[in-house]
Amino acid sequence: MTFEISYEQRMLVDTVRGFIKDELTPLEEMIEQTGALPDDTARAVFKKSSALGLYGMNIPEEFGGGGLSCLDQMMVEEQFGHTTDILIRRAFGNVYEVLLSCTGAQVDRWLTPAVKGERVCSIAFTEPGAGSDAAGIKTKAVRKGDKWVLSGMKHYISDGSFSDFFVVTAVTDPSKGHRGISMFLVDKGMPGFSLGRDQAMMGIRGTSHLDLHFDEVELTDDHLLGTEGEGLKLALSVLGRVRLAQVAARAIGKSTKILQMTLDHARDRHQFGQSLGDFQMVQQMLADSAIEINAARAALWDCAAQLDAGQDVRTKISALKVQGAETLGRVVDRAVQIYGGMGFSKDLPIERYYRDARIYRIFDGASEVHRSVIAKTMLKGSTSVFDPWSA
Amino acid sequence: MKVLVPVKRVIDYNVKVRVKADGSGVDLANVKMSMNPFDEIAVEEAIRLKEAGKADEIVVVSIGVKQAQETLRTALAMGADRAILVVAADDVHTDIEPLAVAKILKAVIDAEAPGLVIAGKQAIDNDMNATGQMLAALTGWSQATFASEVGIDGDHAVVTREVDGGLQTIKVKLPAIITADLRLNEPRYASLPNIMKAKKKPLDEKTAADYGVDVTPRLTVVKTSEPPVRQAGIKVGSVDELVAKLKEAGAL
Repeated sequence: MTFEISYEQRMLVDTVRGFIKDELTPLEEMIEQTGALPDDTARAVFKKSSALGLYGMNIPEEFGGGGLSCLDQMMVEEQFGHTTDILIRRAFGNVYEVLLSCTGAQVDRWLTPAVKGERVCSIAFTEPGAGSDAAGIKTKAVRKGDKWVLSGMKHYISDGSFSDFFVVTAVTDPSKGHRGISMFLVDKGMPGFSLGRDQAMMGIRGTSHLDLHFDEVELTDDHLLGTEGEGLKLALSVLGRVRLAQVAARAIGKSTKILQMTLDHARDRHQFGQSLGDFQMVQQMLADSAIEINAARAALWDCAAQLDAGQDVRTKISALKVQGAETLGRVVDRAVQIYGGMGFSKDLPIERYYRDARIYRIFDGASEVHRSVIAKTMLKGSTSVFDPWSA
Repeated sequence: MKVLVPVKRVIDYNVKVRVKADGSGVDLANVKMSMNPFDEIAVEEAIRLKEAGKADEIVVVSIGVKQAQETLRTALAMGADRAILVVAADDVHTDIEPLAVAKILKAVIDAEAPGLVIAGKQAIDNDMNATGQMLAALTGWSQATFASEVGIDGDHAVVTREVDGGLQTIKVKLPAIITADLRLNEPRYASLPNIMKAKKKPLDEKTAADYGVDVTPRLTVVKTSEPPVRQAGIKVGSVDELVAKLKEAGAL
């Protein structure tokens, strides 16, 4: 029972790493300075990456995606962590697996164009009163004859300014709580749908975070994704893999890149007549970062392999969400400490990595929420998250 | 026309090379290995010739340890059609000398009858820069080394060579041996679909004995050592000071 890296996996990682290093990393500083990735640059990046088959690799081949297994996808997502959120979106796509629930005419209208990169999609679940509590939404869709009328607002919708359509959660039956929530596909430009302000953020510059306003937007059943009332269940069933990929794997990739840079600095920087790496307190920080990254990746691969085998790994995903995010937090904090004044300065990207890292403990369910999920699951009697012999 | 491209598995160019404690060679334990960068350029050039309709089959060959099949798979994923692995050593630390490599390649050429061989000008591990030239001597074919541009003109190749002091363009009769220099092209990445397709492309495995070549080393490595650590430099304020310092150091 070992994870032996196959040559296909190695080649794929080499391609993704090389592409990021040559095509994406050089754009990062410009995006940080201007706060945006120009559309023509975005298109050029997309064209090059999609020619290499790197767009939508998580989607099965039958829908035009790369057809990667979950484990392969995690290896690739780890590399994505070496660059920034907005560049990942443009180069590799953010094609949510939830779109695989498209049926009939929905496939050609939303799924296929999203996989091909012709249309870009954002998830719109979050509201001012519903963050980690995805069931606490106020946005509602009311049946009116053969139509649905959507009203309410969403906020912090990542990439909202660029996206062409949105997967929106709305209450369709207020009496049923989280079983009364459905998902809708809403195109930008529909009457009654307007974009609000772009919320400036601490980090991940270049990605917009928009308010969306729905003022009696008329939708048909064609816009209903999945079954009425099953919206939250469907979302939760597919968002686990997204969480594993976009938070845990990317955080591990970021940690890896940052530790590599920190090692170089510790080797090259001399103080008091010796390299920083000769100081034992620096050595401890470097070793701790390595130990934590190694543990997190081993857990990630284990979880991904189990997901590929069709096992229920929801608790492990929660554990990895926390482990990845918090490993990144500690690794980047040590990096700033070892770089010292240079780590705090805007001349180096370390301070940017530090700001960008903070959201990982918050988005896709805050650490506290996931810890709570883990604890409750164990208290109910399911302990396979830490004891494989118990299942 | 069939193009043959020899490729070598070497230490990845990003790796910080460590010399073994006993000075017998370079430490290869837990070290990332990749295709020799000049060979990657050679593979890319062959693929471009195929895309331009000047070549119809690309055969890659690697001579060394069994693990070199990964290097061949990389070439297949870039776009080569099939691969030949000639196992000539068990130990990754064994380096097959250029003359032995050239003899094996000559035997492969006799079997495959390519119209053109494109090789890297040298491998970045031991920088011999000899295999291409030796192969030209053994086959009696024309050679065009250090190529920075390659064109096919009927039964000739027109090759621009990077020579001391500038560029030289020569016309050689095919079949010929071309060795690739750094500026010939920028190799492509293997795309995801091509990586998956590479799995199904044929990879034949042979041994040096199959070609009747004795790969016993003729050279003895006396010692391997780290390059001397570079001393810190100084800044000089004027030409006079520079001249004075150079005289002081005995360089003038």
